[in-house]
Amino acid sequence: MVTLEILSYLSTAPDQFIDITEDVHVAIERSSVTNGLAAIILSHTTCGIVVNEGLPCVETDLMETLDRIAPLDAPYAHAHFLPSYGATGNNSCGHIKSMICGNSCFFPVQDGHIVCGGAQNIYLAEFDGPQKRKVYIEVLGE
Amino acid sequence: MVIDMLVQPMLYSEICTPGDEPDGFGFWSREFGMGHMGPMDWDELQVEMDVCDVRKSVLMPLDVTTACGGHFGTNDQIAMLVAAHPDRLWGFASVDPQVSGAADELERAFTELGAKGLCLHPAKQGFAPDDAVAEPLYELCERYNKPVVFHAGMSWEPGAELSRSNPLAFEHTIATYPNVRFSLTHFGWPWVRETVAMLLKYPNCYTDTSITYIDSPEEMMQRLFTVDMGPLWYERALSHQVMFASNTPRFRAFKLKRALDTVLMRDDARERLYWGNALRFLEGDE
Repeated sequence: MVTLEILSYLSTAPDQFIDITEDVHVAIERSSVTNGLAAIILSHTTCGIVVNEGLPCVETDLMETLDRIAPLDAPYAHAHFLPSYGATGNNSCGHIKSMICGNSCFFPVQDGHIVCGGAQNIYLAEFDGPQKRKVYIEVLGE
Repeated sequence: MVIDMLVQPMLYSEICTPGDEPDGFGFWSREFGMGHMGPMDWDELQVEMDVCDVRKSVLMPLDVTTACGGHFGTNDQIAMLVAAHPDRLWGFASVDPQVSGAADELERAFTELGAKGLCLHPAKQGFAPDDAVAEPLYELCERYNKPVVFHAGMSWEPGAELSRSNPLAFEHTIATYPNVRFSLTHFGWPWVRETVAMLLKYPNCYTDTSITYIDSPEEMMQRLFTVDMGPLWYERALSHQVMFASNTPRFRAFKLKRALDTVLMRDDARERLYWGNALRFLEGDE
């Protein structure tokens, strides 16, 4: 059996950690899968899925480290007008941070619930906001 | 506080209809050059404004009836959007001077729809700014104390020829109507020096910051304010005639604002750039 639910979020800042842990847990419980695997997948290229401890200080360290790796003022090749978009690029920081974080995570599902460590918060990590973002929760199993 | 003096209305989902017919999103995509962009709901548009303190976005439609048989937002659509979000949006009107009844439609937009001014794009619409056919429109703007926004310099729209967009092409009109306030968008880029000359010579001439087509916004704004212009030109000579504008969706307003925040200038000059000059342009000195 495979179930799919789409969660939507509107980020409110250029860079932002949005804690979606509870929403993911509930979505998995809503699925009719009792035992299997849950995939949390983004359909974007300038945000990421991050699993980490839900403390503000950890969030700050993660974001500041990503900023050091992909600073705003680096001479990115992508910083130009894109005819295929009809708009200016200028979001390489988001692309790079998205690549580092990845766009998905996976958790076991057992007895109808996600198997998730107590310190494992799930974040939608926005790196080119504000934007509307979609998170796909696909649960595979029986 | 920021007033964004150039926002295209085509991403506003409230006025979007699918399809290739005139005024459909497919038409806009083809004739405006929208690429992969798609409609956005108001909550997303509003948060984009909030993130850089844009209190008002000024919607600029365009009547391209002669050039390609449609509109980039009709005057009624703009009025509808403004009525739906009166605390965040202002709207201009556009008419095609080559279409019979253009002056009547403009007067209706001023008197019945509450349009703040007239938006024209001669290179895209296919007329010269000093064509006689446009004179009744300028006269109406003078009578109703409404400003004119001319798309000038490089525009990405297909069919908008660069050779018809040089800021100097607008000189005769701006000189002929000293009581009408005119804005040459995009700083007339790449003809920045020509635009500066126009600003110096004609106090009724304004421009805006929506020029970013090459480089990052920080690089473009630093170049505009310190290389294309001398580093003190804006403050010394132009600080009453330059307005913040993003040309959304070509460019995101908060990134342009972030870039402009890095340009050194006095606080009063910055306030004029971000909102004061827009009010002066829209309302006049009185």
